[in-house]
Amino acid sequence: MRTSSFAATCKRVVNRVGLPLFDSGTDPGPSFIAFLNEATPDSVFRGVAEELAHATTVVSLRFADGVVMVGDRQATAGYIAERDVRKIAAADRYCALAISGTAATGLEFIRIAQLSFEHYEKMTGRLLSLEGKANYLSPLIYRTTTTTPFVVVPMLAGYDTARKQGRIFRYDRIGGCYEQPNFDVIGSGTPFAESTLRLGFREGMTKDEAINLAALAVYEAGDNDPSTGGPDFVRNIFPMIVTVTEDGFEELAFEETSERFRIINQRRTASGGRAEGDLR
Amino acid sequence: MSMSYYVAPEQMIRDKAEFAQKGIARGRSLIAAVYQAGVVVVAENPSVSLNKVSEIYDRIAFAGVGKYNEYDRLREGGIRWADQTGFTYSREDVDARALANYYAQHIGDMFTDGAKPLEVEVLVIQLASAQQASKIYHVAFEGTITDEPQFAVIGGESELIRARVAEQFDPAASFSEQIQHCVTALSGAERTLPVQDLEIARLEDIGERRTFKRLTDAEVSEILAS
Repeated sequence: MRTSSFAATCKRVVNRVGLPLFDSGTDPGPSFIAFLNEATPDSVFRGVAEELAHATTVVSLRFADGVVMVGDRQATAGYIAERDVRKIAAADRYCALAISGTAATGLEFIRIAQLSFEHYEKMTGRLLSLEGKANYLSPLIYRTTTTTPFVVVPMLAGYDTARKQGRIFRYDRIGGCYEQPNFDVIGSGTPFAESTLRLGFREGMTKDEAINLAALAVYEAGDNDPSTGGPDFVRNIFPMIVTVTEDGFEELAFEETSERFRIINQRRTASGGRAEGDLR
Repeated sequence: MSMSYYVAPEQMIRDKAEFAQKGIARGRSLIAAVYQAGVVVVAENPSVSLNKVSEIYDRIAFAGVGKYNEYDRLREGGIRWADQTGFTYSREDVDARALANYYAQHIGDMFTDGAKPLEVEVLVIQLASAQQASKIYHVAFEGTITDEPQFAVIGGESELIRARVAEQFDPAASFSEQIQHCVTALSGAERTLPVQDLEIARLEDIGERRTFKRLTDAEVSEILAS
């Protein structure tokens, strides 16, 4: 993730005064974005944002009862700007949303997604389906890419309450949405994290196995990619680990997260830095 | 050639008020009441899906009686206003009093300038926080706004029901006690309301950001049986 000093310029939302009421012809319905468009001025950027290496690593992986997502905590601006950024958030009770790209745009993206899903639920009295949430993000990404010089590429993973299984959706920078059958990675640490997942993934893993593999993938990325922050034993900052199952979104407690990374680190120390053993 | 007749302003207001009151009187009533840990809304509503009580924001609920399409539009406007205000500023800046004022302005404007007055009455309910006590804002069909610290009744027989609620009202009653009291007040002595004709929701702090919850028929049955 890269920080940007242009956060203020990204706030494209203008507050209007009074009760927003519409007649039946112009009513924007339960979509928060459609409603905001009523109050959004034309953007000035005309072009497509350059793709940058998104200084981040977030992985997600499907297991028997849901999905696990692990993400590093570092933000860079040519140097390490932040060490404790939270790049994964609960978009709602049943889905986790992670971001890579420009920090300002990404964090605003998460806020809009969270708000939109809750807005839909309150307006209609029912939850948006997981696929509905995934599709909703596409035009939002396209708009960011074409109306600002900043790129945000999110990753959505959640529990589909209708199908009773975890599902993962990946995006490209212009909003294409592709469901992934097994796992997904975003950010500059992708080659290292993805290799780890490729070698370690098995169908129907337990939650515990899935968490260990996903944590290892981010550990590998932190070890090899200069823009990904691995576990920080000096400051006690560790990548975020979250799961989404039938019971909803859950973030692992600090003690459990730190313990998992401590074990990986001890194993790696014991083998002199080489990746050895069963779960490397 | 058409002739326009002079109508005294007093007469016009009286006619409009009578029109709106008639519309509201056709609908069934609802009660919002403070209890020990929050605020509960008990509505007589035979419809399963056309709600009278809804969530507006983290600590704010909406209740309306009268013409469904008219108060539902107000509900939607309220959710949009709240979500947009919270997004622009902060979640704590979304204030029920401001929303109640917007409702009062709109309903008042429709009463004086509209083609016809809105046939609705609404409540905006704010759950207590560290800074303030729970409040129930009542907006009448002509835009009059009042705030009630303990309970409010809107709908057809509101005067009668209000008197029944006021009898032995206890703001420190438990959740189920208050529901039982409200259901009894709503139905009166002559009839009993079946569970499927009741719509009950509450605002209460249970350690989560959102405090609104709608009760299922099973939960209502259990409370009424206890």
